[in-house]
Amino acid sequence: MPKYGVPTDPDYNERLAEFEARIQRGEKIEPGDWMPEEYRRQLIRMISQHAHSEVVGMLPEGAWITRAPTLKRKMILVAKVQDEAGHGQYLYHAAETLGISREAMLEALLAGKAKYSSIFNYPTLTWADIGTIGWLVDGAAIKNQTMLAACSYGPYSRAMVRICAEETFHHKQGKEMVLLYAKGTPKQRQMAQDAINRWWWPALMMMGPHDKDSPNTEVLVRWGIKTKTNDQVRQEFINEHAPEILEAGLTLPDPDLRYDEQTGNWLHGPINWEEFWQVVSGNGPMNKERLEARRRAHAEGAWVREALEAYAAKQQKTVVAV
Amino acid sequence: MDTQWPRWEVFKQDTPSKPHQAVGSVHAADPEHALLTARNVFARRPQAVSMWVVRADDIFSWTKEELLEANLTHITQPQTTNHKPQAFAVFRKTSHKRSMTFVDYVGEVEARSPEEALKKAQATFTDAEALAWWLVPTAKIVKSDPSQETIESWFAPAKDKTYKQQQYYATVGSHVSKFKVGRGVEDEE
Repeated sequence: MPKYGVPTDPDYNERLAEFEARIQRGEKIEPGDWMPEEYRRQLIRMISQHAHSEVVGMLPEGAWITRAPTLKRKMILVAKVQDEAGHGQYLYHAAETLGISREAMLEALLAGKAKYSSIFNYPTLTWADIGTIGWLVDGAAIKNQTMLAACSYGPYSRAMVRICAEETFHHKQGKEMVLLYAKGTPKQRQMAQDAINRWWWPALMMMGPHDKDSPNTEVLVRWGIKTKTNDQVRQEFINEHAPEILEAGLTLPDPDLRYDEQTGNWLHGPINWEEFWQVVSGNGPMNKERLEARRRAHAEGAWVREALEAYAAKQQKTVVAV
Repeated sequence: MDTQWPRWEVFKQDTPSKPHQAVGSVHAADPEHALLTARNVFARRPQAVSMWVVRADDIFSWTKEELLEANLTHITQPQTTNHKPQAFAVFRKTSHKRSMTFVDYVGEVEARSPEEALKKAQATFTDAEALAWWLVPTAKIVKSDPSQETIESWFAPAKDKTYKQQQYYATVGSHVSKFKVGRGVEDEE
C-alpha cells in the first residue's frame, strides 16, 4: 500500500517530523517513501497544472510554424514545439508516480476542469510574439523551473532539471529574435515593441499572486516543494529582463518601473490581478479556443491510437501463432 | 475508467562507456511502439547510443526507507511461479544530488525471486550506499538494436541540429551579470 499519511493516523506526528527532517537534510523523497497526503495532493495539483501548461503552450506557437519567415526559424520553432510536447510527457510521468493516472489528468484537461498557465490564453498576433514568448514567457518559466529543480520530490525535481536544460534554448532563441527586430527596420522595431507591451504584464503574472495572497506558499516552502516564493521569483525575472529590454532600445509598459539603488532591484507598478483572475477563471481572450483546439486534436487523433492498438493486437497474435 | 496503454519505464545510455539510466516513462501499446516513443521523447538532444524499455509492472522497486522498515507489502506484482534461477538487471540510485536521471544500471544477479535478487544485489554492489533499488528480470527488457546503422539512424540526427543547443545563441546581447549592482556598464560581458 502507498504510504500517504493523514493527521488522523496514530503515528502521523512522528512520521511528519521524520519526513520534515529528511527534507531539512536535503534528501529527495522518492515514490514508495512515506509522505503526508497533503504533500501528495499539492504535488499532483502543481505537476499536472505544469504538464497541461506545456501541452496547451504548443498551441499559440504551433499556429506559426507554417508562417515562419525563414527555414531556419521554422526548424527552430518545430523543435521548440516538440520540446513542449516532451516536457508535458516528463511532467505527466512525475505526477503518475504519485498514483494518479495519465488518462485521468488528460480527461480533466479536456473536460475543462484542470488549470493551466493563464499566459496561454492570450493571442499571438504577429511573428514578433513568437520571439517575445521565447524571451519573456519561457524566461519566466525558467525562473520558476530552476527553483523547482531543487524540489524535495525526486521525480518532479528530475523532470525540472531536464526541462530547464532544454528550455534555455527557447529563451535564447527568443531573445535573439527580439534583439534582431529591435535593431531592424522601423516596422520590425514597432512589432517587437508591441509584442513586449502585450506580453510583459502577463509574464509577470505567470509567477502567481503576491505572497500575501498565496495561501499555499507557506506549506510548499516548508516541505521543500518550492524553494522560493512567487514574489522572489518575479523579482529575479524583472531584475534580469528589464535592463536587457531597455538596453535593446525598447521600452516597458510600466510607468512606475524604476531601479532601486538601495536594494539593486527593479521595482514594478501595481499588477492588474483582476485581469489575472478573469483569465484563470476561463474568461481570457483565448480560453475557449485553446480548449476547443485541444479537444479537436484529441478527437482527430483517435484513428492513430486505434491503428496503434490494432497493430499491437496483430503483433500479439503473431507471437502466439509462433 | 482506466483504458490507457501500459506504462513503460525508459532507460537511456548516453555513450558506450556510461550506464543505462532511468529517465522517465511512456505509454505504449507494444514494445516497438514504446521504444519509438521513448526515442522521440527522450532523445531530442544528444547524446544517446541505446535505449531500453521495461513494462512498469515488471519492475521491483525498494527505497532505502522501505528497506529500513522491511515493509515490502507494496509489491503487487505477481511473484514468479517459475522457481528456476533467472537473471535480474540491477539498477541503483546513490545520490540526493540534482540529476536528470533516477537509477543507474550496475549489473546483473541470478536469483529465484525478486527478493532474493535484492539480497544478492545488496551483497554484490557495495561500493556506495543505495537510496533506491530497481530489479528487472532481464528477459523483460526490450532493447534498441545495437547495430551501428540503427544507432546512426535513431540517434545521430539530433547531433546536427546545433540550433537546439543553448550554446548556439551564447553571444546574444549582454550577459545579465553586466546589470548586477556594483558593476558599471563598462564591465566585460
